[in-house]
Amino acid sequence: MRLNPRSLRFQLIAWYAGLLIAICLIFGAYAYSWLHHYLRATTSDTLVRRIEIIEATLLSGINQTGEPYVIRELQARYAPAINDRFIRVTRPDGSVMYVSGLPGDGSFDPVHIPLPDLAATSRFEREVSVKGGGSLVIVTDAYRVGGQSYLLEVGASLKEREEVMGAFSTVLGVGLPVVILIVVAGGYFLIGQALRPVKKIVDAAQTISLYHLDQRLPVVRTGDEIESLSVGLNEMIARLEDTFRHASRFSSDASHEMRTPLTIVRGELEAIMRNPQLDPGVREAVGSVLEEAERLAKLVEGLFAISRLESGEATMEISRFDLSNLVLTTADQIRLLAEDREIRLTSEAPLPVEIAGDRARLKQVVVNLLDNAIKYTPQGGAVHLSVRAEASQAVFRVTDNGKGIAPAALPFLFDRFYRADDARTRGIEGTGLGLSIVRSICLAHGGSIEVVNEPEGGCSFIVRLPLPADGMRGGWIERRRHEA
Amino acid sequence: MRILVVEDEEKLRRFVAKGLQAEHFAVDGAPNGQTALEFLASASYDLVLLDIMLPGEIGGTEVLRRIRKRDKEVPILMLTARDGLGEKVASFEAGADDYLTKPFAFAELIVRVKALLRRGPVTRSNLITVGDLEIDRVAHQVRRGEAVIKLTSKEYALLEYLAVNAGRVLSRTMIIEHVWDQSFEGLTNIVDVYVRQLRLKIDEGRERKLIHTVRSVGYSLGEEAG
Repeated sequence: MRLNPRSLRFQLIAWYAGLLIAICLIFGAYAYSWLHHYLRATTSDTLVRRIEIIEATLLSGINQTGEPYVIRELQARYAPAINDRFIRVTRPDGSVMYVSGLPGDGSFDPVHIPLPDLAATSRFEREVSVKGGGSLVIVTDAYRVGGQSYLLEVGASLKEREEVMGAFSTVLGVGLPVVILIVVAGGYFLIGQALRPVKKIVDAAQTISLYHLDQRLPVVRTGDEIESLSVGLNEMIARLEDTFRHASRFSSDASHEMRTPLTIVRGELEAIMRNPQLDPGVREAVGSVLEEAERLAKLVEGLFAISRLESGEATMEISRFDLSNLVLTTADQIRLLAEDREIRLTSEAPLPVEIAGDRARLKQVVVNLLDNAIKYTPQGGAVHLSVRAEASQAVFRVTDNGKGIAPAALPFLFDRFYRADDARTRGIEGTGLGLSIVRSICLAHGGSIEVVNEPEGGCSFIVRLPLPADGMRGGWIERRRHEA
Repeated sequence: MRILVVEDEEKLRRFVAKGLQAEHFAVDGAPNGQTALEFLASASYDLVLLDIMLPGEIGGTEVLRRIRKRDKEVPILMLTARDGLGEKVASFEAGADDYLTKPFAFAELIVRVKALLRRGPVTRSNLITVGDLEIDRVAHQVRRGEAVIKLTSKEYALLEYLAVNAGRVLSRTMIIEHVWDQSFEGLTNIVDVYVRQLRLKIDEGRERKLIHTVRSVGYSLGEEAG
């Protein structure tokens, strides 16, 4: 699986893991220092207690029992050699009365442990490092008996504490990363699980286009934000569908409402024209109005054709046919228009190019583009047509050698009612919808149209239509075909 | 010949009726489906002109269906909105004989009505004569007087269409639909160009012109302007 650092999943995991690591580090550091102090304090307490016992039971009576007894007792009762302890008693004159022997584990040599400050009068604690890397913690106390001050030292190796701390560090150092890894992996999986309904919604949403507004997203019954998300999206799609249905019903109603008065205007005017005694001036005026009514009718026609195509309301009659053949026969039917203006019309469609589409509408594309080219090419010019299959597309090209299109006009050429410039439109009657209709038809077929200026002058209109890769046709066309 | 015009728009119904009466048809008008069915029950008609969008419970398609239930023969010409292809298909399936899209030229209405009325016993003559113009529909040969006139296939189709409807004004839209097809509808000037070409061959240099232009309406073929 590819990791995308901006994905919700990655971000959640990153935050989650970061937080977890921070908490573990703080906790580990705290536990480590607490344990460290606890172990040290415990050792100190034990040593202090031992000092107090030795002082109370042995040193207090040293003047009565004598030094040999004390030494014997210390050796026998505290067995420093076996317990790995360090005990040393220093006489008031600074000579050592007693020092414990080598401990069982040989971790330190009691003879080489330096003497503390003999002037000390109160109890204190120190840490002495010994050869071999370990260290001893030693509590020293000055004990006064019969006016004499004996210095009693009791120590213990810190080896045990270091062992515990080492083990603890190992647990922290190895255990925590493992735990974090497990938790992150688990979290990654869980977030994936949690996001699965979202992915389902996204997958479904991708198949819904303007032409499939009757479809709905799957509602995941999770009872949380994800369910509200799918429900909310579905409500939005429903509103969209409603708006679209309204718009297209409006367009069809409006179409009918506008046609009827136009029919009446036209009919009444024609009735007037049929009167042979009509005054020539009136006849001229009525004729002019009739022409405008005709133009208005064409405008209404064109606008509704576009709106139906764009709203997906138009019924497409899809069949398979040879685009080359369509272009060649259409060119023949229109040839006289070109000859009338002394324009050379040539075509190049050597191979059949089979496409799936609405033949009548695509023929209109050919007719409109040809008509447009002939209109805008100066007398004596040339118009060239070509059809070929390129990759997965059928490409139909109309090239003229006129003066091309002003670069500023290129982006708007297919807009409704857009006229390129005055020179181009002079003397040409039309609705300004021809190219818009052409584009709507191309788009409705899942194709495209573009216009480019040719470097050697003139311009090319290029229509691209998807070739029918069997079983992989545009969803809309497929659906319309099933309906037809 | 009696024609029933079913159309809810009163003005439209009236001028269609007036125009048909001028062509010597007897015309009844019905504003809705209910009235239309009553008319049809009480009289017999040679043709029904039926708007597909009718107000009320009985729409155009329903009227069509009920007429066909009783009468399989009477020709029915539907008035439809352009691009409602589904509508057209449905009305043909329900038994309409032809359709006309609004807004239509009256001339076109007359041509279609007459075509429907003479359907059946049509005299499909192989030789059409208009003045001294002769069109042989089998050999696709055209003569004017003694001279044989050579025409391209489109020119011939145009001339034949004008000749079959000689004396009638044909609109550019009708000519385009008949000689070309609907894709060319925006290009009314293509008709003008072809008619000009045809005139050069048929009328040029002759005293009596056969092709006539009717301003704002279309063209007609005949010894007198249509």
